[in-house]
Amino acid sequence: MLNRNAEALFWIGRYIERAENHARLIDVHYHIQQEEDFRAEGHKWSRLIDALGVRNEYQQQFDGFSEQDVLSFITLDLGNSNSLFSCVHQARNNLRTLRQHLPSELWDIINSFNLWLGEQSVADILSGPHQFYQQVKERAAMFLGAEQSVMLRGNEWRFIGSGRFLERAENTTRILQAVTVSCKSKDINAIYTQLQAVLKSVSGYQAFRRYYADAMSPESILEFLIVNAYFPRSIRFSFHKLEEHLAKLRLDSSEKGSGHERVIRQAGKIKAELDYMEKEEMSGDLVEDVLQSLMGSCQKLGRTMEGAFFRREGVSA
Amino acid sequence: MSKLDPLPGLSPYPLQHFYDEMYAEERSIRPHYKHVNRMFSGMSPEELQLKQKMMQRRMMEEGITFTLYNPAQDHPMERTIPFDMIPRIIPKGEWERLEAGIVQRITALNLFIHDIYHEQYIVKDGIVPRRMIISNCYFRPEMSGLRVPGGAYVTTSGIDLIRHHDGEYYVLEDNLRTPSGFSYLFKGRSLMNQLFPELSLASSIRDVDHSLNRFLSVLRSLSPSRTKDPVIALLTPGEYNSAYYEHAFLAQQMGIHLVEGRDLVAQDHKVYLKEMNGMRRVDVLYRRLDDDFLDPLAFQPNSLLGVAGLMNAYRAGNIAIANAPGTGVADDKAMYVYVPDMIRYYLNEEPILGNVPTYLLSRTMERQYVLDHLKEMVVKETSLSGGYGMLIGSEASKDELAEFRLKILADPARYIAQPIMSLSRAPVLSGGRMTPRHIDLRAFVLMGADRKPHVIPGGLTRVAMKEGSLVVNSSQGGGVKDTWVMA
Repeated sequence: MLNRNAEALFWIGRYIERAENHARLIDVHYHIQQEEDFRAEGHKWSRLIDALGVRNEYQQQFDGFSEQDVLSFITLDLGNSNSLFSCVHQARNNLRTLRQHLPSELWDIINSFNLWLGEQSVADILSGPHQFYQQVKERAAMFLGAEQSVMLRGNEWRFIGSGRFLERAENTTRILQAVTVSCKSKDINAIYTQLQAVLKSVSGYQAFRRYYADAMSPESILEFLIVNAYFPRSIRFSFHKLEEHLAKLRLDSSEKGSGHERVIRQAGKIKAELDYMEKEEMSGDLVEDVLQSLMGSCQKLGRTMEGAFFRREGVSA
Repeated sequence: MSKLDPLPGLSPYPLQHFYDEMYAEERSIRPHYKHVNRMFSGMSPEELQLKQKMMQRRMMEEGITFTLYNPAQDHPMERTIPFDMIPRIIPKGEWERLEAGIVQRITALNLFIHDIYHEQYIVKDGIVPRRMIISNCYFRPEMSGLRVPGGAYVTTSGIDLIRHHDGEYYVLEDNLRTPSGFSYLFKGRSLMNQLFPELSLASSIRDVDHSLNRFLSVLRSLSPSRTKDPVIALLTPGEYNSAYYEHAFLAQQMGIHLVEGRDLVAQDHKVYLKEMNGMRRVDVLYRRLDDDFLDPLAFQPNSLLGVAGLMNAYRAGNIAIANAPGTGVADDKAMYVYVPDMIRYYLNEEPILGNVPTYLLSRTMERQYVLDHLKEMVVKETSLSGGYGMLIGSEASKDELAEFRLKILADPARYIAQPIMSLSRAPVLSGGRMTPRHIDLRAFVLMGADRKPHVIPGGLTRVAMKEGSLVVNSSQGGGVKDTWVMA
């Protein structure tokens, strides 16, 4: 496989995961209500912009926060490289460069996804936001389903998987960071409301209740989302999967001891940290440091992968 | 009786003085079109429009598109090529003559390119003037004396032909560098088979699929290494190139690597693919990139698209390049005039297919004739292309004609002139009805190390989508038709 193809696959995994995360996050924020939402017109929409971390980009284009502008910007705007449509569009363009290596079902699904988004307008979203984002999630799920059921378990599949789980770990970390920072000075109730929204935004509300039905506290929510071993969107679960994908990449033995091993070691280290994390680290002030360091690890791992797999130059004679 | 064909046998539109592919002069259907005509006449306009929509939608879904790149736009636009459902049909005998003529032409052109980069006999014998080589911007001195695998320079080529109102085919242009359109030919056929299975099953049409296998074996035949399974890669400028779909399609169909310059590295006079598992040596490179961009060390130093050191590897005989660099020396507008002479010179045969009559204005008699008939001529400046420096006599004003007359007299060698040709017409479906459009034909030729040209049966019929227009280019909104050769 060409280095460039490996990178394209990795990013297909990331982009599709990101699009799905965006859809879920927007849907949840759209439907939750906060006190400030009633006091200040536009608060709800600026909150959504902050949840996606695109305030600067948004304000370069718009003066105020209106439902129409915000939804259009984060969902359909191709000029915003982080919009939902941009993610799908870029995944589609990446897949287009290696169509010949992948099952055609994947192309059909992602190309239709891209065409469909291209035909949507803000009016279509506004006429039924929940239905709209539901459809996005379903299309992303279709892609995942096709990839799980028809793809050979070779390097191609492993790279898509690596992209997906690195993105997922980063996403959950980022959402939690946003909450802990913004709730720092507030009372426990404010944190609680937001953490509940976070749970929902990773579709973890029902799963969480099975573990902590009688003890819904910020600590338990944080613990669940960081280290639960069975919830597929927890950071720990993501790192277990990520390490597995990386370790099972089949590369020439001559290449061992090089970048590949370093990547596995790095992922394994983060995984181990999560495996042995103490309860105390996930509460109070400590959790911010933990999340900060996890975010740093994710980004470092992304860079190491880039150096190890995607950007190699020259011939080793 | 259907709405398409109010009186059976009569054409649904006036033929005027053009040659019509489906209807003969006496306004009866040409025999080889009877079956297709009956089929389309039997369908209602609504049904036809529905099929047309399905076709367009299918092309979008599959991503059968070309990219229109506009620097003013953030994102390049992908468009489907308008695909007309009424096939163009070429009867057996007619095709055999075309095929023989094209094979003859490509054989001579290939010999010419070899000659130009070696002994240049044709120049020494005074058939082609030396200045035409030296002043030619597609001439590559780097290719001089270089031995090309199998002596095959024009691995793939596209010959554009038109049919004049006299019913004869004329060669309009030879495309010997990186002709495109293969994918539309193959994909158009498979779309037709999906939409009208009954139609293609009931007709005996020459198959085009085996030409794809031929394509691969032609590329393999060029491999300079003795390995059983040579590594072949298609070099594309990237996903924003207008023909990117074609590049991906061909790579996929032939099972060869689709690469960009940054996927390759040249070292020790060899070219390698940068792969996950290390480096893999490339034997044959089918490039869809212009000469200028192939190798920044040899050609344009600021190009990022190619591979630094590719030409050294090529010179060392470690890699084959299809098409060979420098083939453009033979498809230049002015060189076109000499192709019939090349056929006589190298093959000692009379050309089977004619050129569009072309006058060299440096010759006194021809110049006088052209000046006397300027209103019926297209005058072109030899060194320019893309419609620049051109006069279309029938559309020019008195002043423009006078102005061009002076230009020609001032520097006659700069110009050629051709009579205005009338492209034949074929019916297309528009709004569920048959209407006439001008068409041409791009015939594709493949040639491997055995130097036996293979013409893909049919080729690509290009359609001017606007009524009366003669412009068939896809970038100008032109469409295509499936082209059938009867077995």
